[in-house]
Amino acid sequence: MFAAQLALNALALGSAYALVAIGFVLVLNATTAVNFAHGESVVAGGFAAVAIAGLLPAGIPGIVLLPGVLVVTALLGLIIAGVAYLPIRSRPPVSVFVTTIAFGIIVTNGLNAVFGAAPRTAPALVGSGAVEFLGVTVSLQSLAIIATAALLIGALAFVLQRTQLGRQFRACSQDPEMARALGIRLVRITLLGFALGTAFAGAAGLLLAHQFFVSPSDGGILILKAYIAVVIGGWGSLRGASVGALLIAVFEVGVASVSSQPVAEAMLYIAVLLVLFVRPEGVFGEPQRVRA
Amino acid sequence: MTTPGLQIEGLTVRHGAVTAVSNASLSAAPGEVTCLLGMNGAGKSSLLRAIIGLAASDGAIAVSGRDISQMATEHRIRAGIAYVPEGRRVFPGLTVAENLLVAGPARNADRQERLATVFELFPQLAQRPADRAWQLSGGQQQMLAIGRALMARPDIYLLDEPTLGLSPRVIDDVAESLARLVQTGAAVLVAEQNAGFAAHVADRTILIQTGRIVAPSGAA
Amino acid sequence: MTGMHLGRDRVTLIAGGVALAVYATLFASSYDQRILTLSGVYVIMVLGYQFIFGHSGALSLAQGAFFGVGAYVTGIVGSQFGTGFLITFPLSIALATLLAAIVAAPVLRLASHYFALATLALNQLLLVIAVNWESVTGGANGIPGVPPVILFDWQVGRGLPLLVFVWALAAAAMLIAHWQLRPSRVSSFTVMRETPLAAPAFGIEPGLLRFRAFLFSAAFGGAAGALFVHTNRVVSPETLGFGIMVTCLTMTVVGGRFRIAGAVIGALLLTHLPEWFRGLDEYYLVAVGFLLLAMVVFAPNGLAPLFLRAGEPSRLSKTIAGDIEPPAKSTAGLVIEGLSKRYGGVRALDGASLQVEPGEIVGLIGPNGAGKTTLANLVTGIERGDAGHVERASANLSVLSATAIARSGIARTFQTSQLPDELTVRQVVSTAAVNLGSTAPADKVVNGALALCKLSDDADTHCGTLPHGVRRRVEIARAIAGDPGVLVLDEPAAGLADEEQRQVADICRALAHAGTAILLIDHNLEFLRTSVTRLACMDAGRIIMEGPFDTVLADPAVRAAYFGMADQ
Repeated sequence: MFAAQLALNALALGSAYALVAIGFVLVLNATTAVNFAHGESVVAGGFAAVAIAGLLPAGIPGIVLLPGVLVVTALLGLIIAGVAYLPIRSRPPVSVFVTTIAFGIIVTNGLNAVFGAAPRTAPALVGSGAVEFLGVTVSLQSLAIIATAALLIGALAFVLQRTQLGRQFRACSQDPEMARALGIRLVRITLLGFALGTAFAGAAGLLLAHQFFVSPSDGGILILKAYIAVVIGGWGSLRGASVGALLIAVFEVGVASVSSQPVAEAMLYIAVLLVLFVRPEGVFGEPQRVRA
Repeated sequence: MTTPGLQIEGLTVRHGAVTAVSNASLSAAPGEVTCLLGMNGAGKSSLLRAIIGLAASDGAIAVSGRDISQMATEHRIRAGIAYVPEGRRVFPGLTVAENLLVAGPARNADRQERLATVFELFPQLAQRPADRAWQLSGGQQQMLAIGRALMARPDIYLLDEPTLGLSPRVIDDVAESLARLVQTGAAVLVAEQNAGFAAHVADRTILIQTGRIVAPSGAA
Repeated sequence: MTGMHLGRDRVTLIAGGVALAVYATLFASSYDQRILTLSGVYVIMVLGYQFIFGHSGALSLAQGAFFGVGAYVTGIVGSQFGTGFLITFPLSIALATLLAAIVAAPVLRLASHYFALATLALNQLLLVIAVNWESVTGGANGIPGVPPVILFDWQVGRGLPLLVFVWALAAAAMLIAHWQLRPSRVSSFTVMRETPLAAPAFGIEPGLLRFRAFLFSAAFGGAAGALFVHTNRVVSPETLGFGIMVTCLTMTVVGGRFRIAGAVIGALLLTHLPEWFRGLDEYYLVAVGFLLLAMVVFAPNGLAPLFLRAGEPSRLSKTIAGDIEPPAKSTAGLVIEGLSKRYGGVRALDGASLQVEPGEIVGLIGPNGAGKTTLANLVTGIERGDAGHVERASANLSVLSATAIARSGIARTFQTSQLPDELTVRQVVSTAAVNLGSTAPADKVVNGALALCKLSDDADTHCGTLPHGVRRRVEIARAIAGDPGVLVLDEPAAGLADEEQRQVADICRALAHAGTAILLIDHNLEFLRTSVTRLACMDAGRIIMEGPFDTVLADPAVRAAYFGMADQ
């Protein structure tokens, strides 16, 4: 019983993490840029939910907030692209690392100034109850998180696999110059990647903000988790990122259940360093043919 | 007065301080294969990349009498050029059909119709539409890259060393597919360092050496 | 020009220092003095960060971790055991450096974002430990009662004494940085950053250089952390927080990544900005974010270049030596035997064997993809072969690193010239001469190489502005700066005009005449005809024919492979 509940908790957490990791990969694939403001985008999604809920009558289910959160964070993604990526896209990658870190600082401290440093909570997605199923008590929130994440991921898969826009997006991520040579507008695809990727982060913020709360300074740990998921799952792979995210959630819930949250967190960081140490070949990403 | 085909007048391509092509003038006529023959590093690739707008250049480039030299790449494509790059550069993770569709027009019905045409011309590709492009052999990838260019129904094809790394038998296939492109009434400009292949397929040959057109002297 | 700027810069620096001293002693309130003291602490941290983020070009997010380690070591040891500054300060530096040395193995070989995120994970790990290991670290509240700085019997009091003390240490840190970052070292960093592929050919060991930079960044970070807690008299998890890391990054970007003066400008500015912009309240950090963003986009080199004009001064004498003849030498040639290399299913090299004797120029031709560049890469150790070996003077070179091979006297040039834009021709050649450990005095070697390659007039031109033809000769000058016995030239004449080709051919003949063994890879038959003593042709990873120039070209197999025409 207990194990089944743990598994469900891990699955719910993993679904939310998967959205974060997929969002990270979408930006990565559209630009090859690493967006260090991605963790802050999750936080921004959580606070967007808090803010929108404040405008609506109390007791409204959180799922109603999803469209608003998606729109706000998609716009945020366009701003990140326009301010921190497009002006310096031809510079060395480290420049984009620093500008996106700067953008993250702006978001974190902006939220801090507006909402305060204390953790806030967003409304539950459909309600706070639980249902009994085969003797296992299942929280509605967990089920709703899993369902929402599945819906978003399914919609994304449809767009990427079945539409011309999706084909163009995938072509750009595999060979941007060749895609340009076929008449595909690269800037448009870049903006799409940032908007979609940040909106996925924002949706994750909404899903996480009820049970786990959200505070302005959470960005750092969220980007690390997304990053670990992507490294485990294979650089640039959407499916791999989802699997990696689930593994992290299982790890976190599992370790926390036998010891404590800080220990789980510390172990996760040690795991990153170990993964990077023992499997650099799976980590070095795009193999570059030496052309001297 | 519009001249059909491709006209290039006084084209210079620089990469930083390096001049890759200097003051090149040439033309490619509809219904003909024009071969741009030169050694490695002679400036063939730079010339083709400048025509498509992937490399910055000075000089006039006209497609069917219309100057495209100031246009962004996507508009040059719409003006009627298609490009088959060196090394083929098919999208490895996309399927054969997707590689073709992604180069097609906006309307789905048009895309499907053109896909059918390409599959007719290249039965090898029609046999395995759902395979990923990286699974294809070098020769099949070359067919796919040519088919991808065909999806745009251009007036002008630019091909950069289509025979590179291919076996003689496959090279014959490439020669045959060039003939098919010409039959559509398009102008075909092929950059080559393989003189045998050039002699075999070309209606006209232009020699390029260290960035300059050397023969025929009045190539344009 | 440079000398004039140096003179002006010196005036600027002295004037700035005097103004700062006058302000600190006569006008600053005790609060102002505290802020200035913190500036001095940050100067040390940023100087360290410049090593890794600036010169190495790697975004480390662990500078805050080293700062925190220094802070906690001084805080814990100082408050728990009452140990004095003379013990805790070196200990803080040592442990921060030790931590860097330990994590360097997994972390330092990572490139780009992998490095950034791994260092971030390290910082977060330490933060979790600091917050949760309450019995030792005092948990979230930290440890109060950190003792002041006590040197022997003298207690450095708050206010002006501590301010002077910290800035004295900052000055010492500047001297260390200045000593470490001598011009040839700075050029080596530039090569590693801008043209990493060519670093071994310059005789640079990138791993070692990066390792050293990482250790310096940690040592400086640890020192700054220790001084930080002596200033605040309390150590808390704040010292490990992302806030300090962000402050350090912003200071470095705003002041400038490369210049010592940049560390001072950045630290002074960022510690005083909150005072000047008190009206912004909690939005101040938002403004800092915008500042960081704007600096990267609009002024990527920071503010330092606005105040100081001089580039990296060249300390080598500018007189060009008269002798153009390279020194004659008795050296061994190159033996390549049965070299093979696969990429996936493709055989790039399939048992290639070739010898080049001293004084000989062997031309190597072959169609695209025949394996010529792969051969050059294997000979010079840039890639490892699957089978076969490379020998010189009966020493097996196949087991050496690319840098060791270059230092052993096998030099090469690259098909696409690998020259950092911002270095001058002279800096390129002298960087190679210093790192390759040439035995002759560096000046003489550099001037000789420049003269031989007819580059004396371009010696002080930046490589980024050189035309293609000149860059080719700079590559050759760089290659011969280590006085090599074997020279591998990968398409040195590609894209050159006739006159430029003749110059390259002349250089080759002069070098061969002096005893250098030269392997000359090229496509240009006219160029080869005038240069080589012998010709070899490659196809499909093998040498299919070698011998006199005309004999090789007349061979049917060569004609079929190289010209793509079967003799029908």
